[in-house]
Amino acid sequence: MRYVLYAVLVVVALVAARRRRARASSTPVEARRAAYEMPFVRGRVGIVAAREVRERLRGRMFRVGTVLILAVVAAAIVIPNLHHRHAAALRVGVVGELPANLRAQITRDARLSGDATIFTTEPNVARASAQITNGRVDLVIVRDERVVVGNIATSPHAAEIAQIAQVLGVARALASAHLSASQISILEHAGGLTITSLRHAHVKPTDVGTSVIGLILIFMILQQYNTWTLIGVMEEKSSRVIEVLLATLRPIQLLTGKVLGIGIIAFAQATLVVGFAFVLAKSVGSSMLRGAAPVELVSILIWLLLGYAFYSWVYAAAGSMTERQDQIQAVALPLSVPLIVSYIASLTAVESGHASLFIRILAYVPPTAPLAMPALVGLRAVTWWAFALSILVSLLATLGVARFAAGVYHRAILRTGGRVPLREALALRRTRAT
Amino acid sequence: MTNELNVRGLARRFGALKALDDLSFDLRAGHVVGFLGPNGAGKTTTMRAIFGLLELDAGTITWNGQPLDAAQRRRFGYMPEERGLYPSMLIGDQLEYLGRLHQMSASDARAEAKRWLERFGLADRATHKVESLSHGNQQRVQLAAALLHDPELLVLDEPLAGLDPSGIDTISEVLVERARSGCGVLFSSHQLDQVENLCESVVIIDHGHLVTAGTVDDLATSGTQRLIVRVEGDRDANWARGLTGVTISEVTGGEARLVLDDDADSDVVLRAAMSAGRVVEFATRRRRLSEVFREATT
Repeated sequence: MRYVLYAVLVVVALVAARRRRARASSTPVEARRAAYEMPFVRGRVGIVAAREVRERLRGRMFRVGTVLILAVVAAAIVIPNLHHRHAAALRVGVVGELPANLRAQITRDARLSGDATIFTTEPNVARASAQITNGRVDLVIVRDERVVVGNIATSPHAAEIAQIAQVLGVARALASAHLSASQISILEHAGGLTITSLRHAHVKPTDVGTSVIGLILIFMILQQYNTWTLIGVMEEKSSRVIEVLLATLRPIQLLTGKVLGIGIIAFAQATLVVGFAFVLAKSVGSSMLRGAAPVELVSILIWLLLGYAFYSWVYAAAGSMTERQDQIQAVALPLSVPLIVSYIASLTAVESGHASLFIRILAYVPPTAPLAMPALVGLRAVTWWAFALSILVSLLATLGVARFAAGVYHRAILRTGGRVPLREALALRRTRAT
Repeated sequence: MTNELNVRGLARRFGALKALDDLSFDLRAGHVVGFLGPNGAGKTTTMRAIFGLLELDAGTITWNGQPLDAAQRRRFGYMPEERGLYPSMLIGDQLEYLGRLHQMSASDARAEAKRWLERFGLADRATHKVESLSHGNQQRVQLAAALLHDPELLVLDEPLAGLDPSGIDTISEVLVERARSGCGVLFSSHQLDQVENLCESVVIIDHGHLVTAGTVDDLATSGTQRLIVRVEGDRDANWARGLTGVTISEVTGGEARLVLDDDADSDVVLRAAMSAGRVVEFATRRRRLSEVFREATT
């Protein structure tokens, strides 16, 4: 945990230093070097993408949004862990003697359930019962006679208490059976039968919380950044800066640069959140990293990227058909329907622990796959080749959608004077005067 | 060789409306050319066509005889009618960004942005957002964006609209300066007095086709002859009434403004005036550009 705090302090110090430098500079023209350069994307597309990255990073909405997401993720990881720790310590009061071998076995059994065990010695049954009533112990072992609890039906340790009662009962039976020491030892160390799992025995299931947080993250980021793309295109059109820009570059270059720039920010934010979640979960020993969780985290990032790539073109094309804020809702709502449907279906599947036929179909449909496929990964209900097939389908669909969206954008972006009718944007009718 | 823009046979129809109808004209670099016409005449459509912002039904636009391509257009500067800047982006950053899109290096774009902001008295506003500026200053920033990359041709749609006299003077000075340095300047405006003072030549269009074009001097001295005559003691210019081929366009304080038909003779007018009294003023009058415009477009 302290390493996380150190990391947060370092980040805060770096941000503060950067802000101080920015304030100290006289003009941005002189102060910032190579502002519109992208390391890996050259030419005008890179210049446009760099502007998007810079302007978005500068915006308060991005910084506040990132901090909020990190806070929510931190709460989702830390709070259940605190609760688990609090509930996990099994406090055992003992009246009379409890042999060391039985103490050891009780401790061992509790540890298998993820709990620590704390033994306290109680002077008599009355005092021990008072301790239960006050909530200071979870159960009391009264010599080898009985186990006392507050209410076995409501105890969070009901299964462990039943196990303890069983162990003590067997021990008493063995003691009264007049067996030899070696016979008792054999019986005490008798193991259970081997359990054979029909599914992959080497992989433990992922914590439901990991899948849920992953789905929420994908949904939130896709909604947020696609809306940014839509609004960004609409603002360029409404402010008429589009004419100045398109006098210097082709529409497809501007569109690609915008999609790329916003996509870089989206992926960086998602990577930051996932990385933060990973480090934090590791630090606090959260069960959310149990089993296949790391695989699922990678899957979340992959599908976030694919989801953004698919939807960003569609939202950009929709943005080119609008030029006022009040028109945005009308075009954004229909586009978000597949996302909402797949989000609800995926959450339902993850919570139920069952991959229905519906969610399996959605995992191969490009608009719904970004949420449905990570859900299948969390449920361990998909093979690697099916995962790869879905990626391939999504990539091919994205190419088609990008081509179509570029056409709509090209036809609609310079059209002013109201929302562009769909028929005209789809080139079903000749454009009218601007 | 002087750079030259040649517009030939442009046609563009929007439904039933002919926005451009076989429009042709030439523009030589080194001149400030006024691009005039009534509202809806096709000026903005023509300017957008120069920058490839709309598809033409017919016609060609060439620069030094070569069809315009994207690379050549990036060497032009454009100021659209409805100003185009990112409202919430810092001014210095915005100019640098637009300079980069015009193929400038990052350092050149920064230096030129700084230079033009200083020139327009906005050096201290580089870290401000565009939306925080007054209309006139936004106009100056928009012009700086068009000038930043030292364009070969400047196309400005209504650059003087909404400016105060000082703003008009600043922009006029820059346009003349750019033309003198070899840049072609084409700008539209409805402020005809300003155009007359600023431009060497004009192109006037109406209903999408060319009505007239030429130097301001030629247009002012061509056409029907105009005289200003003042006869002592005749404040209503009664002496001129009834003269064949002579129309009185205006009489102010005894000063008569006369328009002569092609077959009317100014000597006849002078003799008629002298016979009416002492002639205190007799002059040939140039047409104002506003008169040229009205006669051409009505």
